[in-house]
Amino acid sequence: MNKVSMNQIKTAKIIFVALAVMLAVCGPASSQTGIKKRRPLPYEYGRVIIRNYSEKAGLAPVVFEHWIHRSKFTCRVCHVDVGFAMKAGATDITAADNAHGYYCGACHNGKRVVDGKTLFQSCSEHATPEDTKRCEHCHSYGLKVASDYDFFEFSEPLPKERFGNGLDWEKAEELGLIKPSASLEGVTIKRNALVVQKDFMLNPKVEGMPDIIFSHTKHTVWNGCELCHPEIFVGVKKGTSHYSMVEITEGKSCGVCHTKVAFPLADCQRCHSKPVEP
Amino acid sequence: MFFTTEFKTEFKTTIITVLLLLGPAVFCGVRAMGAPQSSAAPANAAEENWRKEFNDVCGKTQDAMSFTPEQLTDLIRRCDDLRPQIEKTGKLDETGKKVYLGRLRMCRGLYAYVLDEKKKEKK
Repeated sequence: MNKVSMNQIKTAKIIFVALAVMLAVCGPASSQTGIKKRRPLPYEYGRVIIRNYSEKAGLAPVVFEHWIHRSKFTCRVCHVDVGFAMKAGATDITAADNAHGYYCGACHNGKRVVDGKTLFQSCSEHATPEDTKRCEHCHSYGLKVASDYDFFEFSEPLPKERFGNGLDWEKAEELGLIKPSASLEGVTIKRNALVVQKDFMLNPKVEGMPDIIFSHTKHTVWNGCELCHPEIFVGVKKGTSHYSMVEITEGKSCGVCHTKVAFPLADCQRCHSKPVEP
Repeated sequence: MFFTTEFKTEFKTTIITVLLLLGPAVFCGVRAMGAPQSSAAPANAAEENWRKEFNDVCGKTQDAMSFTPEQLTDLIRRCDDLRPQIEKTGKLDETGKKVYLGRLRMCRGLYAYVLDEKKKEKK
């Protein structure tokens, strides 16, 4: 081989390596979905880590478990009456808020009794080192703290499902195994019984995909009206709004709940539930 | 006996007279002492009025679909009137205002939304 062809091979090698490096770096960066996330385990599903101020105060971030709270109260109680935002971290909870009886402190005030159990006080303005154990009830992220409730013990008698918490919450309520309360004394306004809204059907865009049967009944019983309308769903009349799975996956409309707390989107047939005619 | 029967009777009469005179005077006095408190009562009542109004207006959201457009318009107006009252009240701290204003926003939003849908249906 002469010197010119050796140089050409060398140049080609450099270009090849440069291209390989470029692909390795730019490939994941240009990907829409990024790195695949690990699917949360049943007891982790719905978990919210609240770290707005904890670390600045020298405490571990708060670990909030949706599963135990949703077994005691409907979504509306916390997200309408108590005032928790639907997006993690958006409520901007402070220890002072809790100490003054707002947010977590609306229940966790050391006085309120739920299911015969006095709830621990969430935050106090003048906490002492002796309060550490009480603080760690919630400020437990990254710590080995034994919870008051064991998920497996709790979920053992409940009907099972495939995804999310691995539970059929709706059926669990129907069977009377859980009784989420729709009111919180001193916080919730006394209301008339909710008029049962009719369930309805939505036709998917993809041919052959089973129709969606939307359980308005269940959604209104748990959420009331104002939790969903108009901030999450802007159309009352069927067909006025169009939803796409891309948007839902991004956390819009149904995805506000069904990507984080309510059964996840992977459980297709729980929404696309109308049998397809042969 | 040191005192005569006549003196005793006179003494009793005097006591009864004094009590009869003092009774209404004490009663009026107590009421008069309570007067400054009762003048503060309207202020407290006004402070608490917004809460009653809030409970009344936002306690009807579950019936929103059954209201006429006129009823919905009235509820929206009442929500709009409530907003500055909650903003100004001294009974709530900043977080309390944030919570109640958030709840008010949701219930007003629902009424406005149902009204809008009803108007669209009419057309």
